[in-house]
Amino acid sequence: MLTGSITTNAQDDPPEGLAPEDLWSEDYANHVYPWGGNDRIQFKQYHDYFTMKDRMMELAEQSYEYQDQSINIMSFHEGLNGGTNARGVDMTLNSYEGHFYSHASPWLKITGGGEELNGVDGGECNDFVGDCGNYAEIPDVQMIGNFHAREWMSYEVPMMFLETIAHYYGTAGIDNDGDGLIDEDTWGDSDGDGQLDDDGDCLSLASNFQDSNGDGIPCGPGDLGVDEDFPEQQITDLVNTREIYLVPMLNVDGNRYDREVFCGEDAWNCESAGWRKNLRDNGVEGVTPIPDTQEEIDESCDGVDLNRNFQYEWGAPLGATGPLFPGMCYAGGPNNDVYNGPVDDTDNDGDGQINEDHVDGNDDDADGQTDEDWWGGNSEPETLFVQDLTEMNDDDNNGASDFAATLSWHSFSELVLYPWGHCTGCETPDHEQLIYHGNKMAEMTLYENMQSSDLYPTTGDYCDWQYGVHDSYCYTMEIGTAFHQHPDDIDHIAVRNLGIPFYIAEVGDNPRERANIGIQEVEKTQWIVSADDLVIPESGPIPITMCIDPNFPFTNDDNYTHVMWRTVKPTRQQSDFGPKEWVTEDWKMTGFQETGENCTLSNNETGDLIVANVPVPEDFSGKLHYKSMLGTRSGTFPFSYPAPGIYEEINIAYRAPFGNPILAFMLFLIVAGTVWGSLGIAIQKMNESDQDEPSIVGATD
Amino acid sequence: MGKSDEFSSRWGLIFATIGAAIGTGNIWRFPRMVGANGGGTFLIPWLFFLFIWSIPLVIAEFALGKRSRTGTVGTFRIFGGKNLAWMGMWTAWISCAIGFYYAVVAGWCMNYFQLGFRGGLSGGVDTVEVWNNFLNTTELVILFQSLVIVITLFAIWGGAKMIEKANTVMMLSLFALLFLALFLALWMDLSDGSLDGALFMFSVDFEILMQPETWINGLSQSAWSCSAGMGMAITYAVYMRKDEDTTLNAFTMGLANNSISIIAGLTVLSAIFAVQDDPLATVTGGSSAITFLALPEVFAQAPGGSITQWVMMWAFFLALTFAALTSMISTVELCVRNFVDHGFERNKAVAMTGAAIFVFGLPSTFVWIHLDADGVAFPEFLEVQDHIWGYGLMFSGLFIAYTIWKFGFKIWREKVDAGEAESGLAGYIRHGVPAFRDEFINTGDNDLWIGRWWDFCIFIAFPVLFTVLIVSYFGDMIANTPDVWNPGNPRGLTIILLFWGVVGGLFVAFNHVFVSRPLYRNVPEGAGAGADISMLPGGDDDLVGVVGDVFEGWEHHASAEDLMDAELA
Repeated sequence: MLTGSITTNAQDDPPEGLAPEDLWSEDYANHVYPWGGNDRIQFKQYHDYFTMKDRMMELAEQSYEYQDQSINIMSFHEGLNGGTNARGVDMTLNSYEGHFYSHASPWLKITGGGEELNGVDGGECNDFVGDCGNYAEIPDVQMIGNFHAREWMSYEVPMMFLETIAHYYGTAGIDNDGDGLIDEDTWGDSDGDGQLDDDGDCLSLASNFQDSNGDGIPCGPGDLGVDEDFPEQQITDLVNTREIYLVPMLNVDGNRYDREVFCGEDAWNCESAGWRKNLRDNGVEGVTPIPDTQEEIDESCDGVDLNRNFQYEWGAPLGATGPLFPGMCYAGGPNNDVYNGPVDDTDNDGDGQINEDHVDGNDDDADGQTDEDWWGGNSEPETLFVQDLTEMNDDDNNGASDFAATLSWHSFSELVLYPWGHCTGCETPDHEQLIYHGNKMAEMTLYENMQSSDLYPTTGDYCDWQYGVHDSYCYTMEIGTAFHQHPDDIDHIAVRNLGIPFYIAEVGDNPRERANIGIQEVEKTQWIVSADDLVIPESGPIPITMCIDPNFPFTNDDNYTHVMWRTVKPTRQQSDFGPKEWVTEDWKMTGFQETGENCTLSNNETGDLIVANVPVPEDFSGKLHYKSMLGTRSGTFPFSYPAPGIYEEINIAYRAPFGNPILAFMLFLIVAGTVWGSLGIAIQKMNESDQDEPSIVGATD
Repeated sequence: MGKSDEFSSRWGLIFATIGAAIGTGNIWRFPRMVGANGGGTFLIPWLFFLFIWSIPLVIAEFALGKRSRTGTVGTFRIFGGKNLAWMGMWTAWISCAIGFYYAVVAGWCMNYFQLGFRGGLSGGVDTVEVWNNFLNTTELVILFQSLVIVITLFAIWGGAKMIEKANTVMMLSLFALLFLALFLALWMDLSDGSLDGALFMFSVDFEILMQPETWINGLSQSAWSCSAGMGMAITYAVYMRKDEDTTLNAFTMGLANNSISIIAGLTVLSAIFAVQDDPLATVTGGSSAITFLALPEVFAQAPGGSITQWVMMWAFFLALTFAALTSMISTVELCVRNFVDHGFERNKAVAMTGAAIFVFGLPSTFVWIHLDADGVAFPEFLEVQDHIWGYGLMFSGLFIAYTIWKFGFKIWREKVDAGEAESGLAGYIRHGVPAFRDEFINTGDNDLWIGRWWDFCIFIAFPVLFTVLIVSYFGDMIANTPDVWNPGNPRGLTIILLFWGVVGGLFVAFNHVFVSRPLYRNVPEGAGAGADISMLPGGDDDLVGVVGDVFEGWEHHASAEDLMDAELA
């Protein structure tokens, strides 16, 4: 039976086309996710802080397997252990706990990395952050949801991302929608053909089923049949080649208050827009942080907007929505939802002056130091947590942030936003590159890609800080169409946004270089030899060729530029009556070599031919899977061909001699002699016995 | 009740047992196993286990059946005691459950024979389409299933003599047809100047030989193919003449079974290697794919023109049909015999079993006919039945071995109590282990004297190999089957354990019902000491008699003649 999420638009004409159950498995057609669980885990109901945290812990403790190896790929944390941070301030575990409910933000470290896939148990351990599994050579990605308490979808989407990783890690070749095809419709328009619905599943449906999420866009993202069969191998590859820091709910204090007090469990019926900020006690006097003597929240004044509290261009009006008097709440007045926190009146650099060098990337006081005495910002336990997580997670000890790409989830408006937010009519130095990735994510979601300040100017925003201070390509996803989206919409909106964190993780190694390569369209013109064109030699290794654009800065290091291949052969214990069963071997790696020959790129330009000689045994009979991964000289890895998570498949015939005639004849003699010879003797003995029967049979008579 | 029923000659028994052993496993499974396990490499473990596993078990079964003179339930009741009659039920049930879907499979073979004979597989037909259409034409599948059942019932209706005749005719025909097919296949393979198929079938790859999986596959093929431990030999031993040999017959049966496998393997591999570009890809697929998809294509390319192709097509499938039918006969007879042992008239028993085989086989004809990734139809319900019950056979073998171990223990304890044997392991080895062999195998009727090697096979090799097979089977399933513990997964482990548990539990729970009925042994006249069961746990069972006995309260089992005899007595 189908759920009510499939709407009926065409009332008059009888529908033409297929019903969902004609195409897909019952589970898929009913939005039943394969990991099972209750309505919260199935995204039919919202998690609250406690159920979300429990689920995070459960998934972190779960055992994961890849290629017959057990790996811990997740570790659960709350806040940071603390110590002396990058600014020389001593922090403790308590420093990151919310003002009111005293929870530190829960987060997960996710990686399967390490040379032997050591995951979160291997690598270096970071005493300040509290995590292990830190590998200098593995890129880190930071993703944070629910800066704003009432934006409930902003933690549901990260939870969907988490569930997807947990369920599919270590798997491959799953027919997610039950249509009989494998990995045929990945997120977005990965093949660049302009089709989101790559296999046409959604278009095959009767028209009244094509807009299953009811957003008015038939066969758009989030509709059943669109992006429904992603390659699971890509998920495993990403987890194994990235360190993902996932903070689904940053603003725990605010979220609990919104859910438990301000709006209630059914907040989508809330009379107001909901609670946005954290629960800093601003006090009616406007003096902070003196505790409220009544121990109650002053809804007209308390709280800080966490996405206005980051130090970069903090509080600068510039036409922004920040307060006219930064650091002050309107005492007794209407609630200021975007209060950016108190002014910092300390002499941060100890030079006797206060706030003389604001965080803006400039040496405002011309003392040779930059941004050393800030005006305000990062005053809250939640934003301090983000700041220290960013600045203290320095796997390669180079003093710079490891997070080359960062993502924040918000709601609503169906937008992809990139820096800057603090100024209008301005552009970042990476404007073109930021647009490039933004467009990719907008394609996946059919959201609009725009510069943050084009929506409205903001100050102290997370992405401005990540980009401005830490040179991180940072994006803000404005999810859905309401702060408290109705529960009927959780599942399809979460699915619609699922590809985004995977995309950020993929480009998180070097988003700038990836954008440059993408803008030049170098990546698209290169190709790996297709299975149809691959020539299998009668003996020896199988040469797999690739045509590379001369402008593509690939490295010769086999660890980064290679063919991944594996053999798939029939199991030796086939079912007598069922379909042919296969056993898939682990992936192996063979490096490319330059041939000195030219080839033709897909844009008809001349490319360089490289080859990897894959040592498939001659006595192998079965299928060969292969794909290539390229790395650049600056360490961007991987560029995957034919596409991320996809591989070519070709049947390989047995190429070895069938045997040695002399030895075979000898075995024939042995076998025939044993079986037929013994049989002959047995028959002869039977005949003799039958002739002599009286003398033998008498023994028992 | 009538008089005892027996085979008319030694060859009758031999053909019946060979017919039971030779089935589709020899003709379609064996070539695939050879292909998948390194060609001739596979023959080494397969042959080794013939002597270590299959023949010793068949010897045991013959000895059990010849002494008990009852089917599986009675045999376990007599040899194990009343409490173990359920083991015989298990053995009979497994055979019956396999029979439910095996009749459908035999029907496929029969259909392909008629198709081949009528030219429906020639002329470059799309064999996938033919197969898919057939499996999806339920009425046709049921028709051939019914035909198989009717022929089977006809063959066993008349008892041992009829079984003997049917098997003799079909086996001799099968030999002739297979030799004809082999000749044509070798001709095909030789037409390109080489005998690739034969070369591959007798070439050893030592790397593969060293792999445990090769040996496990050799063991499983030997165990399944010979029907060793299935209870079939127990059943046919019931009809042995009083002074029949059990050991040389067991060797003859095992060797004949393997001989046919070699001929079938050579035929299939030679034909496939003659025409297929990638023969190994073909022979390593599922068994039914080789038989019903690849072979018709291959036979259609046989040299010598359309006549040769036509002959090859129907000859092969007729041979396959005969192999399936003779196995079907033994499967059904195994069930029927148990009814007859417990006082049912043969006609009624045959009718009841036939009806059950038909009704419970019906779902396998049409339920869950799916397409695989290559667009080939496969009967998933049937496959699930095979998945659940196929390995149940192993436990039938274990129960047989257990009764032998138990008998040895009993004899040893009695000797210890009488002061004739020492206690401890050494005493058991010296007096208990050879007890069954001394008492029931080396009886003087045999043409071959069986030495201590048989004790080694049953007491040491069998438990070790049984454990290896079970552990590897379930270990492989747990390691490689997604969602293996989900009871709703038809390919999972839980569903097997569930069905086994329910069936085994029911048999144990109702064991007292089985043993509350009289048991009529089929003892031939003049059997004398060869039918003595006084030393066995069932020897003092008041309800164990011979055909013609009349038990108080069970007079309705007896014929008028028996009643009169009893009255006179």
